[in-house]
Amino acid sequence: MDQKTRDDLLTLFQSKLNEAMRFYLETCTRCGTCTEACHAYASMGQVKYIAAYRHEIIRRIYKKYFKGRGKVWPSVGEAKELNEMALEELYEAAWSCTGCRRCMVYCPFGVDTQMLMSIAKLLLVGASAEPEILTLLADTSIEKGKSLELYKEGFLAGLKRLEEEVVKGWQMEAGETVIPVDVEGADLLYVALAGAHSIVPAAVVFNAARENWTLSFFEAVNFGAFVGDPTRTKLILDRIINEATRLKVKEVCICECGTAYRVMQQLAGRRPFKVSSITDVQARYIREGRIKLSRSTFKGSITYHDPCQMARNAGVIDAPRFILRHLTDDFREMTDDIRYNWCCGGGGGLVALGEDTLDFRMKSSRIKTEQVQETGAQILATACENCHTQLENLNDHYKMGVKVRFLSSMVADALVA
Amino acid sequence: MSDEIKVDKHMDLKGLPCPMPVVKVSKGIKEVELGQVIEAVTTDPGSLTDFPAWARTSGNEILKSEQDGETIRFYIKRTA
Repeated sequence: MDQKTRDDLLTLFQSKLNEAMRFYLETCTRCGTCTEACHAYASMGQVKYIAAYRHEIIRRIYKKYFKGRGKVWPSVGEAKELNEMALEELYEAAWSCTGCRRCMVYCPFGVDTQMLMSIAKLLLVGASAEPEILTLLADTSIEKGKSLELYKEGFLAGLKRLEEEVVKGWQMEAGETVIPVDVEGADLLYVALAGAHSIVPAAVVFNAARENWTLSFFEAVNFGAFVGDPTRTKLILDRIINEATRLKVKEVCICECGTAYRVMQQLAGRRPFKVSSITDVQARYIREGRIKLSRSTFKGSITYHDPCQMARNAGVIDAPRFILRHLTDDFREMTDDIRYNWCCGGGGGLVALGEDTLDFRMKSSRIKTEQVQETGAQILATACENCHTQLENLNDHYKMGVKVRFLSSMVADALVA
Repeated sequence: MSDEIKVDKHMDLKGLPCPMPVVKVSKGIKEVELGQVIEAVTTDPGSLTDFPAWARTSGNEILKSEQDGETIRFYIKRTA
């Protein structure tokens, strides 16, 4: 690695050094409490997956370049040079971590592994050593924001053929708009993913609840956050904030995508609208009597996988359980304490890397499979796209024999007039 | 297959949800030579916007797209 590259990377490192990050870098006592917390370690037993081990790679680079003792006396200062080999170690650490933050709950100091891994991811982006497909997907999202007029026609054509499915789910009055788009003054802007599965059930429920809603032109997922690039993350986020501001909506409702929800909820700063998850909104409709659900639509017991970015990291815990109690008399919890629920193993961009990460995702999530199977449930519900894909992959790989369902689509299927 | 366009590689992406069609095409385009054409078939409605935006971002060219019911067909020329 030449000096200019190293200097550029260290400038990126420096940009991450706020007070919290310095605390995380300087506090670990290597007590080992986090050892069993990582699903990858619990499933595979390899030391490199222990949270403190992952931290240590970053921490030693920090000591080498940002602490006096590491600069002057590296061998005593546990300092590590930033070179090609270090980048490979950073890749292994960051791209085997889903950012679930289960280890943070165990750590007596609350050291945030996801934040520390964000340094690794940023250095990899700076060295053009990140998974390039995620950067390309992020740039594709940004391009749609920059040149919306070019893509509007295709977007509207895609929606047109979903309308029939929405009406099948909830009959509407003549003249009503089935999937409203670009409605200024709507109460709620729904930000979906690109597929029909994310748009149709949500539209059915919004229409049943007689919501004054409008669909976003943009997909919710933030590939900039997955790849760990703050600039791209903000550009992708700003598309939605600008749209919501232009339409003067009161509420932005994020679809079943844990990262999209957390990014909008926690990174959007001050904004003139409320941010909700689709799970929160559907629970509210039930509470307010705007929709009614049948308890007999689904046969067999149901368990629920808490998406880490929704539950542990953003507090959406009660709403899914409230909905599930209206869908079944046989709901089975996976864990006594939601904060300690196991990650599915698909987060942090790993699912979006598809077959490239499939083998690791299956091996590192054996512990999750056991947790699901211990419930004996026939239906496994969740409220995140990545989790759903990963749980379906696990279901196939480990022959769990469950039906994996999106919670929002279960609500749509169980609607009664 | 289109009558006018010579196709060098077919990619059946039906049933794959977003972002997998773009992920697969990004890999697939590297498996043909510059100037050659991929025919990609998807059922993901999001591909109607994702593919053109991906093509502009990656510097490749969509020669033609056709929609027939649920099926969407793209002819993409590798130009980058």
